[in-house]
Amino acid sequence: MIAAIAFLFCIFLGRFFYIQVIWEDELHYLALDQWTREIPVNAGRGQIVDRNGELLAGNRPQFSVYARASAVDDAEGSAHALADALHSSYEEIYRKLTDKSKSEIVIVRRAEKELVETIEKTEMKGVYYARNDARVYPHGALASQVIGFTAYDRSGTTGIEGYYNAYLAGENGEILYDTDLVGVDLKGATAAYLPATDGLNVKLTLDYRIQTVAEEVMGRALEEHDALAARAVVLDPNDFSVLAMVNLPSYDLNEIPRDDMDALNALSRNCLVSDVYEPGSTFKIVTAAADIEEYLRGNAKAFSPQHIFSSARTRTVDGTTIRCWSDHKNGKHSNETLAEALNNSCNPCFVDIALSLGKETFYDYLAAFRFGRATGVDFSGESIGMLLPESTLRDCDFARIGFGQSIAVTPLQLACAAASAVNGGYYYTPRLVSELYSDDGSVREKVRSSLVGRTVSEKASAMLSEMLEGVVRDGSGKHAYIEGYRVAGKTGTAQKYENGVIAQGKYVSSFVGYFPANAPRYLALVIVDEPQGTYYGSTVAAPCAKEIFEGIIDVMNIPPVEGSV
Amino acid sequence: MRRKSSNSGAEAAATGIWPPAAKPAERFREGGKGDLLFLGAVVLLAAFGLVAVYSASSYNAEVQYGDAMFFFKKQLVGFVLGLAAMAAIAFFDYRKLQKFGLPALILSLVLLALVFVPGVGKSNYGATRWIGFGSFTIQPSEIAKYGFILFTAGYFAKDPARLRTFKGILPVLGAGLSICVLIMLEPNMSVTMCVGAIMVGMLFLGGITKKTLAFLCIPVIFLVPALIIAEPYRLKRLSAFMDPWASPQEEGYQLIQSLYALGNGNFFGTGLFRSRQKYRFLPFSESDFILSVIAEETGFIGVLALFFVIGFIVYRGMKIANACENFYGYMLAAGITLAFAVQSCLNALVVSGCIPPTGLPLPLISAGNTSLVVTMAGMGLVYAVSRHNGKRKFIGYTTK
Repeated sequence: MIAAIAFLFCIFLGRFFYIQVIWEDELHYLALDQWTREIPVNAGRGQIVDRNGELLAGNRPQFSVYARASAVDDAEGSAHALADALHSSYEEIYRKLTDKSKSEIVIVRRAEKELVETIEKTEMKGVYYARNDARVYPHGALASQVIGFTAYDRSGTTGIEGYYNAYLAGENGEILYDTDLVGVDLKGATAAYLPATDGLNVKLTLDYRIQTVAEEVMGRALEEHDALAARAVVLDPNDFSVLAMVNLPSYDLNEIPRDDMDALNALSRNCLVSDVYEPGSTFKIVTAAADIEEYLRGNAKAFSPQHIFSSARTRTVDGTTIRCWSDHKNGKHSNETLAEALNNSCNPCFVDIALSLGKETFYDYLAAFRFGRATGVDFSGESIGMLLPESTLRDCDFARIGFGQSIAVTPLQLACAAASAVNGGYYYTPRLVSELYSDDGSVREKVRSSLVGRTVSEKASAMLSEMLEGVVRDGSGKHAYIEGYRVAGKTGTAQKYENGVIAQGKYVSSFVGYFPANAPRYLALVIVDEPQGTYYGSTVAAPCAKEIFEGIIDVMNIPPVEGSV
Repeated sequence: MRRKSSNSGAEAAATGIWPPAAKPAERFREGGKGDLLFLGAVVLLAAFGLVAVYSASSYNAEVQYGDAMFFFKKQLVGFVLGLAAMAAIAFFDYRKLQKFGLPALILSLVLLALVFVPGVGKSNYGATRWIGFGSFTIQPSEIAKYGFILFTAGYFAKDPARLRTFKGILPVLGAGLSICVLIMLEPNMSVTMCVGAIMVGMLFLGGITKKTLAFLCIPVIFLVPALIIAEPYRLKRLSAFMDPWASPQEEGYQLIQSLYALGNGNFFGTGLFRSRQKYRFLPFSESDFILSVIAEETGFIGVLALFFVIGFIVYRGMKIANACENFYGYMLAAGITLAFAVQSCLNALVVSGCIPPTGLPLPLISAGNTSLVVTMAGMGLVYAVSRHNGKRKFIGYTTK
């Protein structure tokens, strides 16, 4: 009998040993969860500022008020006090304070700081406060597609708010209260406080002043031409930092139309990065750059700057007739050199260049200028554009690519390609953010400009730039001319396609320009989508670029080049 | 060695040595000091129970009754009553109880039957296990256990030859089974099992033949599954015990909470009064699951120490029975010690999740006055037996 009892003792003592000494860790971990109730401590979200520290996205301190019914001791008194302070219904609050079916219940989400401070003084039991800031955008609609917005839980959804959310969000903490089974705080138990880590601030490469100028200019253009959209991107060609990105129409980030998802999706889209268009004549910069570089390298198929192109209006490729936009009558577009072809934006000359260089060589340049691939900008949803594959390319399509048709690019791709063609042939990864820094001002991470590769030689670049300066001085870009600032550029007018066929009367007017031509500091691509009435890039887009440049000159206080008037 | 001596009755019966032809060995000495260590261990355990009950119940008592000492005070009353009963019985000539075997059995059966009388029986947690008026309640099944022991010891002591025939043991089987049936109807499966185990154990200690023993055990093997299937809630509990996390909010809840308490105790415990699980997470923390709280607060070391004391009481109790020079005293002491041992083991097995959770207190420690007073009185009886024992181990039953 003793043996039987001793045996039983051994069984359960062994079991106790197993549970208490071996299984203990896992059980303790599981039990911890039921022993505590958490009140969240929200991390402060980082700010977004422009390159000079101008605040673009910040926070207004607000608090959520929670109650834990099981810890409330004077529901009536507390309900009265809360109802008075929050100007809301006593019955509603009383119901929440006594609702023991939930462990925590929100009394009010996002109450202003001052309100909560007065409530806090009453020291009500079972009522808790958690920081829950409101996101504010001091400049409303300014650069709204770039900045983006946050969801209701304050996590970034679109734009920089979305792309850099991991840095901006920080890490939430919590206060752990030891409670009994139904959530009543234990007496004498100390609450464990896990502090929140605030998010990092994001410094953009955008210049608030240039952005403002560009938005004003494009806003006027949108109205004046009754256009569908007006867009502009301003780059620093020396490192491809984005100085301004304008997408109009726009919306106020403080009043996001969350009810109308379609409208919100359309308005919040950064089309300069995400959408493609047929660039038209602005693309001739790339074709010209390829020709000059190949000429300098001694490629016999390339045309020299002195070469006189055929004056005929048409070229026939694969049995397809390609025409110039001009009728070539009365001596127009006759006996052109490359510079004059650019001035006149004469299509047949660029057909000649593309066909002469051949697909292989030309596609090498398209690759170097990063068409058909992402620029790598720090922004979500970048499109790579549309480039017909070299292997199945028909000659008639290839010929059109020479003057910017049969190819689709993002505005950012084109701006970067143009910048690289005129900055000495350097292609950088474009960027919107320059650094991440903490509240004490110390820089935690720098987003440096990185050189991706070379496109053309410095000499070719300088020669091209000289020609493009001529376009503004003497040619189709003269509406962008500013005395004494050596503006250079190229116009573009493209017909829009709808469902694969040319849409009559629908154009995209564009202009890519920069200054000063000899050492470019500012490059702007201006796009006016479906202008009514006049639609040429030279008359619609070029003046916008001029106004933007004038604004920049004014803001940056840039003196005219020496020797000019 | 010890094992052999405890088997002595059975061996003697099997070999026909018991009862001795004459009864020269049947002796009753003048009362001496008795086994004071045994007595001390029992009082120590009950006193520790007071502390444990206070620790396990104070929070719940504060919340439910506004008095942290609520359960402690009740238990203190039981402790004082238990001490008084022990003292009274300790100096009592236990042989006089021999005549009260049948009345004790009848009283037990009546009390058990009263449970089912509306207005007298009290239900709690879906089972009717208590009788009482107002705040005074008793649990008849606790009394019935000892009623059965008194009856069995008296019945066999009157004529030990009854142990040798099936007809002879039939009244004991009848008494045991009727108690079992009544308790099962409450329902209270674990106390039923407990009484069944005491019945078989006492027959074994009394020395029935091996054949009869086997004959008795076989139906039990079939009966247990049958009973489980008869009441679906038992099956649920059984599956919950296999994997408590399959239904953490229902059947598995109790066991999970007990395991959390044990796990939190680790090797050295959280310290006295510092249980985390007693904050209403662990149901019945002051009664059936008080061992969980003890294990949490004193750790595995504490559990070892506790069962060292319990084991010591069982060992000394059996020793007292063996040293008794009259058969009635032997059966009484052995039966009571056995009841204590069986109940302690079952409770520990439940708390550690070795067998499905059932409502069974840890004797001397769990809150519950009926159990405490009756157990302490029973222990007083064992002590009383020891007072009349000789100094050396009695050798009358083992005439080798």
